[in-house]
This record gives sequence, C-alpha cells and structure tokens, in this order.
Amino acid sequence: MTAITEFSVAIQKRVGRKRLLKAWKFLMGTVPFLFIIGMWELNTHFGWFPPIEIPPLSDVWGAIFFLQTDCPGFVAAMQQHNECNLTNNIMSSVGRVILAGFVGIPLGIAFGILAGMNRTISGYLEPIGIFMNSVSGIAWIPLAIVWFGVGWETTLFIMLNTIFWLIFFNTMMGVRAVPKVLVQGVQTMGGSYFDTIKHVFLPGAMPSIITGMRMSLGFGWRALIAAEMIGGDSGLGFMIFVSAVEFKTEEVFLGVILISLIYLISDRYLLVPLEKWTIERWGLVWKPT
Amino acid sequence: MSGEAKLIIQDLCHHYPDEYTGESVHALEGINLQVYENEFVAIVGPSGCGKTTLLNIVAGLLPYREGRAMVDGNEIHGPGPDRGVVFQEHAILPWRSVARNIGHGLELQRVPKEETRRRVQEYIDLVGLSGFEDRYPHELSGGMKQRVAVARTLCADPVIMLMDEPFAAVDAQTRITLQDELNRIVMATRKTILFITHSVEEAAFLGDRCIVFSRRPGQIKTEIKIDIPREERVWKDMADNPKFTEARDKILRLVRQEVTSDDEH
Repeated sequence: MTAITEFSVAIQKRVGRKRLLKAWKFLMGTVPFLFIIGMWELNTHFGWFPPIEIPPLSDVWGAIFFLQTDCPGFVAAMQQHNECNLTNNIMSSVGRVILAGFVGIPLGIAFGILAGMNRTISGYLEPIGIFMNSVSGIAWIPLAIVWFGVGWETTLFIMLNTIFWLIFFNTMMGVRAVPKVLVQGVQTMGGSYFDTIKHVFLPGAMPSIITGMRMSLGFGWRALIAAEMIGGDSGLGFMIFVSAVEFKTEEVFLGVILISLIYLISDRYLLVPLEKWTIERWGLVWKPT
Repeated sequence: MSGEAKLIIQDLCHHYPDEYTGESVHALEGINLQVYENEFVAIVGPSGCGKTTLLNIVAGLLPYREGRAMVDGNEIHGPGPDRGVVFQEHAILPWRSVARNIGHGLELQRVPKEETRRRVQEYIDLVGLSGFEDRYPHELSGGMKQRVAVARTLCADPVIMLMDEPFAAVDAQTRITLQDELNRIVMATRKTILFITHSVEEAAFLGDRCIVFSRRPGQIKTEIKIDIPREERVWKDMADNPKFTEARDKILRLVRQEVTSDDEH
C-alpha cells in the first residue's frame, strides 16, 4: 500500500465512510456557488458590468445595514418598528406563509381525507381540484386585486388558494393508496369510523401529505413573492419590486438571496425533520440501497 | 366436541356482482357450520371456492342476506372485537411499534394503560418477540410480522379467532415453524379458531376438524375429524403419524377431485 491509500483508509476508518461521502457531496454542491461568487468578484474588479446592473458583493451585504439604519435594535425589530425595513419585510412574508399554512394545511387535510374515503365527496370535489391545481397560483393575482385591493388580503388569498388545493389533492391520493386490509384490521378490533381516520387513513396518507406540504411551500412561497410584487404593500416581493423601480439593485439581489435562503431553511429544519420523524421511521420512504 | 357452539352458520348463501362484467357470482351455497368452544376448525378447498368469502362474512366485513350467522348467540352485523382476524399479510400498521400494534385492540376498547401493558408483554412473550417491542414492522421479517398479527388478535381476547391463510405468504421453512408455534399457542390459550387455508397439510396438521369445500359455488363437501392430541402435533413427529398421513391423504383426494373436475370444464 502506498502512503496515500494508507492515509485514505485511516481517514475513512476514523471519520466514517458515510460521513465522508456526505461531506464530499456537500462540497460538490458548493462548487457552482463558489464559481458564481468568484465571477461576481471578478466583475467588481474589472468592471465588465456597471454596479447599477451587478452591484459589488459588499454592497449587497451593506444593503442589510442600510435598510436597518434607523432600526433601534433587535427588540424593536421583533416588534416591527417602523424603521426596521428589512426585518419587517421578512416577517411580513414569513408571517403570511405561516398563517396561510396554519389555515390551509389542516383544511386541505380534512377535505382530502373526506374525499379520499368517500367516492361521493370526491366525485364532487376531484374535478374542481384538478381545475384549481392546473391554474397557476399567480394567475389569480389580478382578480384578487379587484376583489381585495392591494394589501395583505390579496397575498393571503393567493397563498391559501395555492396551499389548500395542493394539500387537498395530495391527501386524497394518499388516503386512496392506503391498503384496505389495514382499515379492516382496525375495524375487526372494534375500531370506529373515527378510529380508522385517526389510526389508519391519516398516518397512511402521511407520505403524500408531506409531499403536498413540500409542494405547497415551494409553490406557495413563489406565488407569495409574485403577489407581493403586484398586489402587496409589504414583504420581500414588495421590497424587491420597489427597490428595482428605484434602481437600488443591491437590495434586489439581497431580496432574491433571502427568499431562497428562507425557503432552504424552512425545508431543511421543518419538513425534513417531520419526514424523518414520521414516514422514515415507519419505513414508508423508498430508499435506494 | 363438547362445549357450546361459539359460531353458528345456518343455510348461508352468498352472491356478489362480478367486478368487471357485473354478472352475479354464486359464491356460497347452503353453508351449515358450527364451531365449538376451544375447537380448531380448518376450512380447506380449491382456490376461488368461497372460503375467504365465508371468513369475511363471519368477520362482518361482507354483508350477507340469505341465511344466518351468529357468534356467541349474537347475529353478525358488521365487524366487532368479538371476532379477531389474522389476515394473509401486511395487515399490521407500519406506523406502530410491535408493542403498540399488539396493544391496539385494547387501546380501541379503552382498556386502562397499566393492564394493556401487562397483557401486551404477556403476548409478546407468548409469540417469542421479547426484545422487539419497540421495533417497527419494516424492521421485521415476514414470519415475525405474522407473529405480531397473531399476538395482536389474541391480545384483544376475541370470542373466536379467524385466520385467513395467515402463513401463505411466508417461505416454507418459516411456515413450518409458525405452524408449530401456532399449535403451542393454541394449547396455551385454548382459543376457538376458524382457519382458512388451501394447504391440505396445514389443515390436517392444525385442525381438530377439517371442512372440505367444493369448488364454486362453495358448499361443504365433507367434514373430517382429526383425532390427534395437540401435544403430539409437532412437525418432526407428524410425518410418521399414521393418523395424520391418513387424514392428509383423504383430504388431498377430496380436494383433488374438486380441482380435476374443474379441469374437465
């Protein structure tokens, strides 16, 4: 064995092969980002594009502090003080996602379970579900502005409309895929109609519900940003739009980066743990071996 | 058999519409059957003879119109905890651990937690799954899953345990082990059992009484008593037991008749 292989084996033994592979995968994923950042810095240095089109990285970073200049501090930011522009817009967007999730997800699950269990209910609701899901969420924005005007009602409506139909449809499909024998098992042990929902249909539909939540977070978040741009008076989408009009390009860049970061964090620290705790523990996830 | 009849079926007939053509299928015809307390009755017959239909009617999963079916003197209307069912496979809940699956029936019947825990442990020990209490079904082998299914049904203490080809989906070695174990469990619990199978050997090995079904429409063709004490029913001794081989060969002839007469059509 050469020294290099010996070294490699020693490292693998010490750190663990799985963790090394994971670290390697992570490193590979960062390459395109590092490339973009590198090109960006080069552009600043050589001035291929003027700062008004592509601002220096440091300006984007600086925009955070510029937007928060007159913010008295962390506590004030949490209390949505008037001068805390950036944090207010972040909280406004995130708050709407949370609110729409809290209303839309349980509602979608409830209707989805009913429709999945009952052919009559799904007969009524399935076609409209397909119709609603085929219309892109943002297509409703002009109409929503006519109905609710510019403001939080419009953005909330867009979000709710997107989330509800996605969760509804996925839950319904998940409930239908639950093997009949599991239901019969609970019934023959004296389980009531409600018991079959609680003990069989709801957990059985979980893989599908989580897929629905993933999709609604993705689609909903995108729809929200668009809705804020056109029909909102606050939020990250609103901020991007206004900043672009005022040619504050660095704020636009900041907004875009924040939007994807917030999505990434919520998926990684909300949905992934939920998935691990439920369907992965139950062995309901297909895993490549 | 001594004791009172726990399951009584009188003049039961059943028709159902075919899934594709909509034509009426005659599944069962004039079934009369009693299963007595502590008795193990095995129903054996060619596939498609309606034996699973009969079990589903007794389980309350299939409504019936012609004839009567009673458990413990009560007419059967829908499923209930007095009739526990062990299904062919994949009927335990993947999202419940072994212990929570086995205790599920008691949970549904609102039995206090402390008693549930005690009884669950008792049945975990009985089926030999100690140490696997907190495992999830996907971590178990096929044979272990069926042990959980049997324990789950027994733990709820039904009047009669219905078993629908419970060992058909496991490999041959495991099947023999599970049959031996079921025998031991029957001795330990003295449970009344109605067992459906297409395996002649299995029926002869396990049953106090074997009911041979004709092909569709399913009728009771013959009934054979197998008079071998439970203690002697162990696979390694059974192969040379003349009572067993005789009963097995007789049942096999009867079932073969049904299958071959089917071929002539």
